[in-house]
Amino acid sequence: MDLIVGILHTSLLAGGVLALAALGEVLAERVGVVNLGVEGLMALGAITGIAAVVTTKSPTAGFALALAVGLLVGMVFAAITVYLRANQVLCGLALTLMGTGFAATVGKAYSGIPAPATFTGVEIPYLSSIPLIGQVLFTQNVLVYLIYIILPVMLHVLMFRTRHGLNLRAVGENPAAADAAGIAVQRIRFWYVTAGAALAAGAGAYLTLAFVPSWSEGVVAGRGWIAVALVIFAGYRPLNAVLAALLFGVITSLGFVGQARNWPIAAPVLSMLPYLGTIAFIVVPVVAWHRMRQVMAAPAALGVPYYRDLR
Amino acid sequence: MAIRLQRLPSASPGIALAARAIAILFALITAGLLLAASGAQPLKLALQVLRSTFGSGFGLEDVGLLVTPLILTGLSVAVALRIGAWNIGAEGQFYAGAFAATGVALFVPGPTIVMLPLMFLAGAIGGLIWILVPTLARAYADVSELITTLLLNFVATLLVYYVATGPWLDPGGHALGTTARLKHDVPEFIGMVHWGFPIAILVAVITAAAFSFTRWGYEVRIAGSNPQAAKYAGMPFRRHLIVVMLLSGAIAGIAGMPEVAGTVHRLQGGISNNFGYLGIMVAVLARGSCIGVIAGAALMAVILNSGIILQTQGVNTSTVLAITGLILFFTAVGDELAHFRIVSSKPAEA
Repeated sequence: MDLIVGILHTSLLAGGVLALAALGEVLAERVGVVNLGVEGLMALGAITGIAAVVTTKSPTAGFALALAVGLLVGMVFAAITVYLRANQVLCGLALTLMGTGFAATVGKAYSGIPAPATFTGVEIPYLSSIPLIGQVLFTQNVLVYLIYIILPVMLHVLMFRTRHGLNLRAVGENPAAADAAGIAVQRIRFWYVTAGAALAAGAGAYLTLAFVPSWSEGVVAGRGWIAVALVIFAGYRPLNAVLAALLFGVITSLGFVGQARNWPIAAPVLSMLPYLGTIAFIVVPVVAWHRMRQVMAAPAALGVPYYRDLR
Repeated sequence: MAIRLQRLPSASPGIALAARAIAILFALITAGLLLAASGAQPLKLALQVLRSTFGSGFGLEDVGLLVTPLILTGLSVAVALRIGAWNIGAEGQFYAGAFAATGVALFVPGPTIVMLPLMFLAGAIGGLIWILVPTLARAYADVSELITTLLLNFVATLLVYYVATGPWLDPGGHALGTTARLKHDVPEFIGMVHWGFPIAILVAVITAAAFSFTRWGYEVRIAGSNPQAAKYAGMPFRRHLIVVMLLSGAIAGIAGMPEVAGTVHRLQGGISNNFGYLGIMVAVLARGSCIGVIAGAALMAVILNSGIILQTQGVNTSTVLAITGLILFFTAVGDELAHFRIVSSKPAEA
């Protein structure tokens, strides 16, 4: 029983990284911009988080600073891809290379230092003493509640229950029609891409402030790319994205348990699981259920820059 | 007189090339400023790099060794781009090729003259198998190849790390985390530079010729620039997509073979040196041209070699990765700016 509680507890914790990054990518892709720089943004957020917490001893300050760095870098990325309309794939790859390289360069000084303060679990009175569920759900850190409940519900309501949400989805589906209806296409794209980048950097900080919690080169380990893939699997919906991330948390934590309990599978092979799982999850559903392709389709204008004069 | 910017649908080749050169210059200046801000002396470092690279035969030989895998990984990405597919998985296919070539070298007995072509073939097949699932998923279910190819990079890296530290670990125990030294070496061509270099150039030339002078190449180019038009004209788009993507994987796999049998001589974790990711840079710099890839690879090899030289000066390899990111970023921006021209127009007189 303890084993199951342990696996589920770690699953939530591990899935949080992917959930936050995937929510950010949902924002960007819903307005029609592919941000392939998530991996680099996460690296930048991770190093910002650890650097800030080493100086200030406050994980909240570290997380906030990471969000701010993500916001700034996101503004540059958004300005270049939305207003200048540079190739989104290239700019995203460039951001990943720059972010990973820069974080690793700065990170040399912080390598291996454990975070002096982290987001630690908060036991919610009464609820945490419910057997099984209590230990899994109600002893997590603050960010877990933010990532799994508050943020996805807010985004879901914003996207699917408000007029503004209708507008932002229109921008991703048919920017020309949205433009004709008087929606400021470029401005909406700019701010949602920027906000998405901030969340990606926040996911990096979650990694070094709550999950690992220390910096080492390659700590992001492709999680940014898995997050991008999860968004496809989740059909570009915030609630699905969080559930998909949780599923990945389970896979990751099974790998940990396997290593800790000396299962007769080599550690590198167990480490392959999240990547192979991701591929299976984005390939199998569309092959198995053809209808899924229409229901879970990408925004129609995804990756296409908008030119008013070429309408 | 009003001066305004006008956007052209396609940039003229001369301006596009100039934009490239300016972008690379800007990226290097930015990198220099960042290095200066962190307390280094960029001009002194740059001189050091130039002297070590071009001042001696050894420097050029180092570049020659680096350029070989870069030509092939760059070509791999460029080939896929011809039909509009992003192969971000050259890194993984490179590992798969190196893995397959090593497997053949370790476990199949035979004279070197037979074994080298066999290892070459194994490399190609390794890379081809590694891109098979992303190819079929893209062709039949329209799953983005960008993400599937990329995710398989991590799997290939872990696979090579696993065999090099586990089942295939050097039984002699001379080195940690590598296989035994391979018995078959790719012979040397000039100095330290092995025959992988001319072979890489030959592969690039053959591929370029196939695209330029065959019906298949023509159809692939049409299918890449306008899939709808290609389908309407009765060209088998799906078949071309599958063949081109598999070819792309095989070329990246081939890159792994001379690296393991000519340069490193052992299979070890991290053998790829990011060659697959840098291949994306090479292909972009070459604007998807198969011959241009050779020039792009030469430029990247010099930059990569600079990184190795700079390591002795306290600049680490991740800095080089960041600099390549800067170059890619400025190139993407420059490409877009090349589409604009300044026009001055007199307002119409009433």
